[in-house]
Amino acid sequence: MKRLLELKGFCYSYGNIQVVKGIDLYVDEGEIVTLIGSNGAGKTTTMQSISGLNPVSGVKGEIWFDGERIDHLKGNLIAAKGLCQVLEGRHIFSQLTVEENLMIGAYTRKDKKEIQKDIDGMYKLFPRLEERKKQDGGTLSGGEQQMLAIARALVAKPKLLLLDEPSLGLAPIIVEEIFRAIVKIREQGTTILFVEQNSNIALATAERGYVMQTGEIIMADSCENLRNNDEVKKAYLGE
Amino acid sequence: MLFQVIVSGFVIGCVYGLIALGYSLIYKASGLMNFAQGDVLTLGCFLGYTFYTLLGLPYWLSLIITAAIAFFFGMGEERFIIRKLQNKNVLTVYVVLATISIQYILQNSIQAIWGPNMLSYPRVFPWNNVTIFGVNIQTESVFCIIMSFILMMLLQVFMNHTKFGTAMRASALDAKAAKACGINPSFATGVTWGIAAALAATAGILLGPIYGVFIMLGQTIGRKGFAAAIMGGYGNVIGAIVGGVLLGLIETMSAAYWSSTYKDMIAYGLLLIFLYVKPTGIFNEKALNR
Ligand SMILES: Nc1ncnc2c1ncn2[C@@H]1O[C@H](COP(=O)(O)OP(=O)(O)OP(=O)(O)O)[C@@H](O)[C@H]1O
Ligand SMILES: [Mg+2]
Repeated sequence: MKRLLELKGFCYSYGNIQVVKGIDLYVDEGEIVTLIGSNGAGKTTTMQSISGLNPVSGVKGEIWFDGERIDHLKGNLIAAKGLCQVLEGRHIFSQLTVEENLMIGAYTRKDKKEIQKDIDGMYKLFPRLEERKKQDGGTLSGGEQQMLAIARALVAKPKLLLLDEPSLGLAPIIVEEIFRAIVKIREQGTTILFVEQNSNIALATAERGYVMQTGEIIMADSCENLRNNDEVKKAYLGE
Repeated sequence: MLFQVIVSGFVIGCVYGLIALGYSLIYKASGLMNFAQGDVLTLGCFLGYTFYTLLGLPYWLSLIITAAIAFFFGMGEERFIIRKLQNKNVLTVYVVLATISIQYILQNSIQAIWGPNMLSYPRVFPWNNVTIFGVNIQTESVFCIIMSFILMMLLQVFMNHTKFGTAMRASALDAKAAKACGINPSFATGVTWGIAAALAATAGILLGPIYGVFIMLGQTIGRKGFAAAIMGGYGNVIGAIVGGVLLGLIETMSAAYWSSTYKDMIAYGLLLIFLYVKPTGIFNEKALNR
């Protein structure tokens, strides 16, 4: 199995405060992996560093993607290599229509003719978006915005999809809908690494998981083992 | 008489509109007000004069070269001054102050290169006037209006119906998300400044044959273009055009039918009232701090 993403001794500092303290993490092609941990653990910092969206001056250690070192590349170039992220807090373009948001998602693609077909594919995955395709992104509900954010990342046809807290601020029923879509995306062959506060759903969805605490990975195992681990049960599953 | 007044109102109004467009684009992309905008018009006017009058190039070619030079000037201004400051995380007022510095440096440089005297373009068209509705209008005025509208339409199409234009709007809205989609937001911002400068310089070369070429040409127009941008709704592209034409008409009308000495007082008095009554501008752009 091909190693798609690998972090080796990755550290990140904001100024002189180190918030990620040397973590190792990998994702193989075809896997779905989750990164869980409490507030401020450094999950978003890690995710955004992988995507090259944090100032590179704070990075130490190595990040490899698809056989290439990417830790000092600009974010737009990383996206063009097929590593796309659904950002924490959705970050859709509020004054662009749903359709324009999706077009921007396909910005790096060269195969123009196929784009419209894939956008239609997104409308199949999230029918609510099709009804609203002429509407400004900012007028969508939170759940619809999350669907749009996911669809926007997917039309880029990423080799690896990163999702940072897809359930953030959404009602349970919408969270389920979003996660059903994530499972479907996975089944269609996209490799996924996602961060999630809702550890129950995260460990039920992913195959492997990493548990992060104050900048360190304290556990790495299959989700099944994590679900049955007493420490995890107590700290993250509320049992 | 009335028709001629309206035409000259439109001429200056279109120029305000082109300048206002630049303000709006820059505001959207960088959250700033660029004081040097009007003086880029002056630069364009002098560059056009140099290519057209001194070097004897065709007018259309002078126009294209001028716009191209201004484009790179605007892009350079953003990359080497504005962005450098913004990367230091200084307050916005400091960056605006930098644009004031650029304005005066530009004004002085223009004077150093071309001298302090007023210059003039020779006629651009072989015929002096065109007759519309039985009224004689200076050909260059008609050309200025038509060109302005063409430019505004081109910009509108570029921003809304091309991939890169949409990417520019996306970067202006959310640079991080744009980057995550593979867009280089710094480049997009640079292009935005380039377009703003090219618009201003083009306004300068259009205005040159009508108003003459002098150092202070752009400063006043720059300020009024800013007023126009706010009247239209700061940051709103259509609003910039409407605001510009409206301000041009109001000003020209008050000069013609009331008092040319007090035309600025009238126009700006109206602006103050306007700010009070409708701070969001004609096109309801977000203007209130909430
Ligand atoms: N731009 C920044 N400048 C300085 N410190 C930051 C910055 N962004 C995050 N931090 C700090 O880094 C630490 C990790 O933050 P991060 O956002 O990565 O955590 P997280 O695990 O994603 O948390 P959450 O679950 O709340 O999203 C926190 O202590 C945070 O305060
Ligand atoms: Mg986070």
